[in-house]
Amino acid sequence: MKAIKFSISALMALALVVTTSCKKHDDDHDHDTDGNGQVTVNLNHVWGMGTDPFSLDSTYKHPMNGDTMKFTKYKYYISNFKLKKADGTWWIHPESYFLVDMSNPATSILDLGALPNGEYTELSYTLGVDSARNVSGAQTGALSTTAGMFWSWNTGYIMIKAEGTSPQSTSGNFAFHLGGFSGVNNIVATKTVDFSSNPLTITKDKKSEVHFNVNMAMTWCTSGSCSGTSTIMMPGTKAKQMASDFQNGFVFDRIVE
Amino acid sequence: MKGILILFFGLTLLSCKKSEQEFEPFKLSYPEYFPTPVYNFQNNELTKARFLLGKKLFFDTQLSSDGSISCNSCHAQGHAFADHNVSLSAGVNGLKGTRNSPSLANMIWSPSFMWDGGVNHIEVFSVAPITNPLEMNETMANVVAKLNKSADYKKWFKVAYGIENITDQAMLRALTSYMAMMVSSNSKYDQVRQGKESFTAAESEGYDLFKLKCASCHTEPLFTNYQYINNGLDENFSDLGRGKITLNPQDNGKFKVPSLRNVELTYPYMHDGRFWSLENVLDHYEHGIKMSSTLDQSLQNGISLTADDKVKLIAFLKTLTDHALLGNSLFY
Repeated sequence: MKAIKFSISALMALALVVTTSCKKHDDDHDHDTDGNGQVTVNLNHVWGMGTDPFSLDSTYKHPMNGDTMKFTKYKYYISNFKLKKADGTWWIHPESYFLVDMSNPATSILDLGALPNGEYTELSYTLGVDSARNVSGAQTGALSTTAGMFWSWNTGYIMIKAEGTSPQSTSGNFAFHLGGFSGVNNIVATKTVDFSSNPLTITKDKKSEVHFNVNMAMTWCTSGSCSGTSTIMMPGTKAKQMASDFQNGFVFDRIVE
Repeated sequence: MKGILILFFGLTLLSCKKSEQEFEPFKLSYPEYFPTPVYNFQNNELTKARFLLGKKLFFDTQLSSDGSISCNSCHAQGHAFADHNVSLSAGVNGLKGTRNSPSLANMIWSPSFMWDGGVNHIEVFSVAPITNPLEMNETMANVVAKLNKSADYKKWFKVAYGIENITDQAMLRALTSYMAMMVSSNSKYDQVRQGKESFTAAESEGYDLFKLKCASCHTEPLFTNYQYINNGLDENFSDLGRGKITLNPQDNGKFKVPSLRNVELTYPYMHDGRFWSLENVLDHYEHGIKMSSTLDQSLQNGISLTADDKVKLIAFLKTLTDHALLGNSLFY
């Protein structure tokens, strides 16, 4: 048994050596990021004109018809962060997938890790999960199917999952699962924020924060209600409208250095 | 074995792990007249350990919410990995599903999965039956939690995927490794095609009829063109089929053309298992086609077949039964 264990770990070490030796060396890149400034994206979730942080414990009014909404769940995906350097090239955050979950405040701070020194003038991000990861089989990390944000019967990630209770709903509940990544039903959107007038400067050991305000009520500013449509669980025009409204409520605020 | 392509996966691992049985690369073989599989094992190199782990999972009832059923419950080797000749399969608590369980053979050649093609990748295919309330009715989070409680599984995943904590990704890939090996390519049809056997007169005439009247959809060598068509089962659709996925009314009533390999064993037929014999199916195509706006152009007037044609076609269809797969000890 001991011998088997030994040989397995030896083989794993060997496999590691093989993998490492096959990997292209990217020393310059490694050197650039080593020990340099850190960036986080900080999401400040509010409801409508309110200034208090959005909370699953609070009761809110539907922005159009005043239906009462109390959330039990509000989760969404944001992905593919990139930052544009002053020289026009982009720094790409690797494996850039985050599941923001209102039941866990820590998930509202997205850690992009260390960046090479320099000035950055634009930030690009995707609300939802890019189509490539929707068609590439089993994923891991934030994209694990255990997160409950994956449609098994019509493959694809749910971009926004909002559920809760409302006295105006005939069932007493509401559930909006908004997704769709292809063709006319695509709701995934990539956005860019230009802060070139006041660029983000990364220097050694500095911590910087890029702040966004997210108005959660915007999701319901055109479509979806509790007294009317209280459930959406498939891609389509309504999901697309609601996702687009959510995206319009996702607004760059400021850089804190 | 002239004419047989044998692909070796895991050549890099082979060089350093040849003494380790669990790490042995596994060979996947199929005839040279088969196309290249859609699934390329790029992130899931086929090894014996992964196959055996997938097999363990495939037979494990822990994947269902009440521990009553496994993948094998509705995809049995003796039925070419389809269900036990029932129209609709029983899930947890005896709940009936809405569609017939198809054969899992030759899945790695399929560009999509399910009767409506709603699933786009073999690795995520298993999530659908596991989480469907009418099938295994479990959550992926619970399945992973159950597996992580098992010291035995932890050992297996460590060996097969080199991970300490079991992930859904590794579990789904192990199941994929097992299903990938369900290659059906040793039927009499294949033997004839490889010059090792010959058809009887009836089978041969049936084959000629087949090429003329059936092969435009049930295209050789996999006996499907993987398209979605409305084959005239109903005038009104209680199940929208492909239309449910695309939301395009022009896809309503369309379902994936199934492979005919092992069709002798996989009755009842159609997405809802409504026809109990091949005779019923051929009668449908001959005089049972129902008109609707999405009915396939090629079936507007049905398929003209005499009683003798039907007998010969069925003789040919029975040459697609792969007894080697049904008896392959790898799977039990």
